[in-house]
Amino acid sequence: MPDPETDSSSATSAPRFEPDAGWVPADERLFGVDRRTIPPTLAVFALVIVMSVVLPVINARVPYHDIVKAGDVLRLQGDVTFVPEAGWGITSGVRAGNAPLSGEYPAAATVEHRAVKFTVRTAPFDGDANKLLDQIETTSEALNRGRGVHVAGTHTTIVTDQGKQGATARVTGPHTGGVIAAFVFESRGVEAVATGPSDAGPELTAAVFGMIRSISHPGEKRQ
Amino acid sequence: MTTTPTTLADLDRARDIALDLSGWGRRFSFYQPRNFAFWGYLMLVGTGMFVSISRVTREYDAYGPAIALAVTSFAIYAALFWWFTQRIDHYAKLPAKLMLVAFLWGGFAATWMMAASANDAILALYAKSFGQSWALNWGAGLSAPFTEETAKGSGLLLLIALAPRQVRTAFDGLILGAFIGLGFQIIEDIAYAMTSAGSQFGANQIGASIGTIIVRMVSGVAAHILYSAIFCAGLIYLLGRPAEPRRVGRGLLLMAIPMLLHGIWDSLAATAGRSALMLVGLLIAVVVIALVIVVRVYELTVRRERDFLRDVMTPEEARNVVTAAELDAMAGNRKARKRYRKTSPNRRERKRARYVLNAAYDLADELAGARGADTDRVRFARAEVSRIRAGVPSPPW
Repeated sequence: MPDPETDSSSATSAPRFEPDAGWVPADERLFGVDRRTIPPTLAVFALVIVMSVVLPVINARVPYHDIVKAGDVLRLQGDVTFVPEAGWGITSGVRAGNAPLSGEYPAAATVEHRAVKFTVRTAPFDGDANKLLDQIETTSEALNRGRGVHVAGTHTTIVTDQGKQGATARVTGPHTGGVIAAFVFESRGVEAVATGPSDAGPELTAAVFGMIRSISHPGEKRQ
Repeated sequence: MTTTPTTLADLDRARDIALDLSGWGRRFSFYQPRNFAFWGYLMLVGTGMFVSISRVTREYDAYGPAIALAVTSFAIYAALFWWFTQRIDHYAKLPAKLMLVAFLWGGFAATWMMAASANDAILALYAKSFGQSWALNWGAGLSAPFTEETAKGSGLLLLIALAPRQVRTAFDGLILGAFIGLGFQIIEDIAYAMTSAGSQFGANQIGASIGTIIVRMVSGVAAHILYSAIFCAGLIYLLGRPAEPRRVGRGLLLMAIPMLLHGIWDSLAATAGRSALMLVGLLIAVVVIALVIVVRVYELTVRRERDFLRDVMTPEEARNVVTAAELDAMAGNRKARKRYRKTSPNRRERKRARYVLNAAYDLADELAGARGADTDRVRFARAEVSRIRAGVPSPPW
């Protein structure tokens, strides 16, 4: 331990000079840029490109092989089911009896064929089918602000094969048309949306309405 | 690092070396147009911020109440975390501006510019290859750990390039990683809350999102913040820094641990099956294990910082500004500080002992800011230590 009384040395009173953060040594410049900062930045950019470009491109090029077979039933949360059209591709959602290990089925399922996409979503909802369709319309309008795909036209009634009455309306958008249907089983709301090119043929339209009518819930008695 | 010098000049020289090595007290300037990393960071964070703000403004009309609740809740959460980090970082502190830069990387670049699109693509590829049910069970656990940890961790590469004279130790990596993780967590949580707000067709937004907000807040402590803190400490060991020799094995291990924890966390529901009890048990076990690991990593990385603090303050002990017991307490852990306070005879003295330590930490910060020079600020900070020890009240204001 030094004796402060006898040791005459002390810290200097002026801070030692250090160049500021922007200073680049003359031998480290490349067109004025600090060459040492280039490799880490390029490494990060490479990672960004892999994650945001390469992986999505690979995914887009890999086709779906999960094709609906006759008799398949897709099941959603809250025991809601529907029968997808045979030959369509399942892009999300799982078949009845093939639940995830947690036992909880997903809240949505989507099947696609050519450019037509059919999605069914379910969640708790208090009210009837018309109220649910109004709610979907309100949310959709707030999200899209009059642009993109939106609910149009008046509500009409649709009845499922199970005898459940629901509300339906047209959806329109730029070069897109479709239909939306809403049902409420006890306190569980179900939304089914089909969108595709405005000139989708009658065959696809019939398939879509067939899938909508197949929506069912075990709590609902066949009427 | 810590040697056995005998003269004040030697001690001052050791202090200078510690300050140079640690980068403690150096100012950080974000605006560095001749730094390539500056432009890379600006582009990625700027674009991510634009995407994020665009999404919030687009959905605000539909989910305004839920967004307001989520943003307010998570802002308080972030502020609490910031306070906590300041409390655990007694030693060679990093500039607050650098922590903010880390936070923004995690919040806007790692999320929207990297992990989000990669996760979507990998999950879809899993579903195509192994089926939807398999993807629901294991997809998240086998995608997010790789995409999200690397996305967050890559930010540290840019931070090192932006602040090479400040980011010097694995402890710096731990702290910056925690802030990157915090940014990621906050923005991801707000996105989850927005998704929940729309999960009941836009009705009952608060009811639908409040559960998500609470769960994310509680689980968040042992999630992204912790994962990227460990990952980034590992990244510093892997790369090596002037104050932290390269240790490849340790670095790779520390980078692998959070990936494994993240994977287990994301696979909890599938692992537990249909048993809610099993799910809760596993959840608690994973949180406890994660917290034990992060405490061990903290203890591992903080040693070097404590050595720096000791080197910086030893000349002050030699000048009788602080006592040997105070220096040991300052450079020790929480228990050492508590032990030091308990040596005081009564409550009033214990309180004063705490204030003396805080004033001594202030002095250490001033010394670091002055690069060890004897400036007016340093002399004032020394006088403050003496004033508080003597029990002289602070000047009236």
